[in-house]
Amino acid sequence: MYYRKYRLIVPFMLPALILYFVFVLYPYARAFYVSLTSWGGLSSKMPWVGLDNYHKLLNDQRFLDALGRNGQLLIALPLITIAISLTFAALFTQGGQGVRGAGFYRVVFFFPQVMSAVVIGILWTYVYSPNVGMLNGILRNVGLGSLARPWLGDSSTILWCILAVAVWSSVGFYMVIFVAGMQSIPTSFYEAAVLDGASRWGLFKDITFPLLWETIRTCLIYIAIAALDFFTLVQVMTGGSSTGASRSAEVTALYMYTTAFTKSRWGYATAIGVVLLVLTLLLSVVIMQATKRETYEY
Amino acid sequence: MQDRRIDQLFREVAEKGLSRRQLIQRAAVLGISAPALTVAMTQLSATAMAQGADNPLGVDPNAPLDVVIFKGGYGDDYAKNVNTNLYGKLYPKAKITYDGAQRLQEKYQPRLVAGNPPDVMDNSGAGNFNTTELVNQDQLQDLADLMNAPAYGQDGVTFADSLKKGSQADGIYNGKQYNLNYVISAYGIWYNAAYMKEKGYEYPKTWDDMLKLCEEIKSEGKTSPWTYQGLYPQYMRMVFDQMVFKNGGREAIAKIDNLTEDAWTQDSAQAAMNALVALHDKGYIMKGTEALSHTQSQTEWLQGKAVFIPCGSWLENEMKGLIPQGFEMTEQATPSLAGDKLPQSAIQASAGEDFIVFSKGKNVKGGMEWLRLLFSKDGAKFFSQNTKSLTVVNGSADGLELGSAFASVQAAIEAAGDNTFVARYAGWYADLDEESRNMFGNLMTGKSSVKDVTSDLQDLTNQIREDSSIPKFHETPAASPAS
Repeated sequence: MYYRKYRLIVPFMLPALILYFVFVLYPYARAFYVSLTSWGGLSSKMPWVGLDNYHKLLNDQRFLDALGRNGQLLIALPLITIAISLTFAALFTQGGQGVRGAGFYRVVFFFPQVMSAVVIGILWTYVYSPNVGMLNGILRNVGLGSLARPWLGDSSTILWCILAVAVWSSVGFYMVIFVAGMQSIPTSFYEAAVLDGASRWGLFKDITFPLLWETIRTCLIYIAIAALDFFTLVQVMTGGSSTGASRSAEVTALYMYTTAFTKSRWGYATAIGVVLLVLTLLLSVVIMQATKRETYEY
Repeated sequence: MQDRRIDQLFREVAEKGLSRRQLIQRAAVLGISAPALTVAMTQLSATAMAQGADNPLGVDPNAPLDVVIFKGGYGDDYAKNVNTNLYGKLYPKAKITYDGAQRLQEKYQPRLVAGNPPDVMDNSGAGNFNTTELVNQDQLQDLADLMNAPAYGQDGVTFADSLKKGSQADGIYNGKQYNLNYVISAYGIWYNAAYMKEKGYEYPKTWDDMLKLCEEIKSEGKTSPWTYQGLYPQYMRMVFDQMVFKNGGREAIAKIDNLTEDAWTQDSAQAAMNALVALHDKGYIMKGTEALSHTQSQTEWLQGKAVFIPCGSWLENEMKGLIPQGFEMTEQATPSLAGDKLPQSAIQASAGEDFIVFSKGKNVKGGMEWLRLLFSKDGAKFFSQNTKSLTVVNGSADGLELGSAFASVQAAIEAAGDNTFVARYAGWYADLDEESRNMFGNLMTGKSSVKDVTSDLQDLTNQIREDSSIPKFHETPAASPAS
């Protein structure tokens, strides 16, 4: 009987498996091979160099600096994004009753998600622009002109300015996910707690947060992966310049891009890519394990 | 392998005039298989028929041609014009595959790796191929045959002689012409002539006068004296290159190009850096400049927020539509430093829009022929009318009216005469390019001193020179551009 079952299953699965193999597994395996060569990217010659690229990476200060920035983002981005989006979700949804105008805010806060990251990046470079930008304009008009600065031209502010844009653009998305999660929590829980005299913060802390934990975990992994990538916004908002203050916002993926596309060191760049892949996988596993908790059925 | 042998056979046919019988014998010696020979013979007879005064490169009139053009600021009407009105008329049987595109490396890299590149390409714009890498990885056709061929439509003039003297110098890599430039650009300092007239200012011919004028502008307090394309400090590096050239002559630039031990410590380099850093130290650079892209800084300059900005002659075309009424865009060569060897009019003039033929393309001769037609008077005149830009083809813009900014560029090029140059180091060595951009950015924002910039760049230069894994190029001052 089993034999017959497989005779049916295999042909159905085969096309998907072949596609998965050709377009997912093979490129990964191939990338690993390329990372062991000094491929220049423009011909089919791939001189074998063994683990040289990886050795060089260990001593490449620019790579380590970039990785360090990803580390900073990895801590800051999930914390800030989840804190803000949870707050909004709770304000607009918790216990079936949000603040006044909740429906309107939910839609408006989701807007940035509809725009492409490139458009967002370009718009914000104008907000941060030193002389004609909105941010410095506001600061000057309210008498805080001394705080005005070339935000994206200053090594100490550039990465955090870009981080703020990432938060701004993704808060709406995670808010919607949390809203959906909260809506599936039975309102009777809240009603019972309110009868017992629980505060709004108490409702959040003791009912919403624990019951939403599974959703938060998933979002954590998404945001962490975004923090390890972070390519698009930095590329757009630094104009791809890779020097001066822009260097202070160079993340690993951008260094990989510069190494490949402007320096034609594809073997080395691929090694960076492989390291990034391994780190991403490790990170997902670590987050999954570290955030495992008892789940509640309801 | 087979192809190379067939090529050799063709060459022998051309040189020795082998008979059919000798040909077959010779083919056997070279080890060309019978079917391959049959194919080759058909091609050969077509070529032999076509070759002559009208077809000096011996193009196979039936062979299809694969053309890829960067469709950027200049559009691509000029290339389509060559396809239909020139190549298409001469070789009506050739099927032309055409693509006008952007970000060419991303699009065409797979075909290069697969050994199946297009025949001819305008390798320009953002995301194009790095020419040096193409040369290093053996992808480009040596264009010597084209350079020696007669120019299209001109009697008794070779292709090389029909182009502006020196304009193809930066397409030469270790003595071989791999790359042809089409559009002439001159690099200098720009200002609004109407504003200068109104204020009674003159464009300063010496750097001391420049600083004096800057002080006057600054003390008036209405506008900043200088700005530059902050995110891309290579625009200031360009001013540096030009100052070094004027101060120390061709040898001084060649020292940097050739990675010598005193490339950055030599007097001319030091003098130029010290001159530039004064702009920052005295507060003449517009606040916030370091965070501006090229278009943002150029826009603020057009709005009158700064008086001077460095740029190339594409500036007018780039800012089209944003130029205020009555703004008289004018370009001049950089001012002189004390003790300059060359006159103030000396200028960095290079030709851009890089055309290449891929050596592994299927129709290499067709690719070269396409370029011969594009670089003809007919092809170039169409381009100039269409884009208001000057090409390298001698006499192709005679009698054309090209606007005020362009008049200043033309005047600058004319005034410079033979004193034009192109700095090569940034194109040759990607690491030196990036780090010098970085350092000139630091210099102009006060983050690094002249001393730090010098030692940093000199260290890197020494490192590259000693690194045998980086292919080297050499510039001979005597045989260099436009002399």
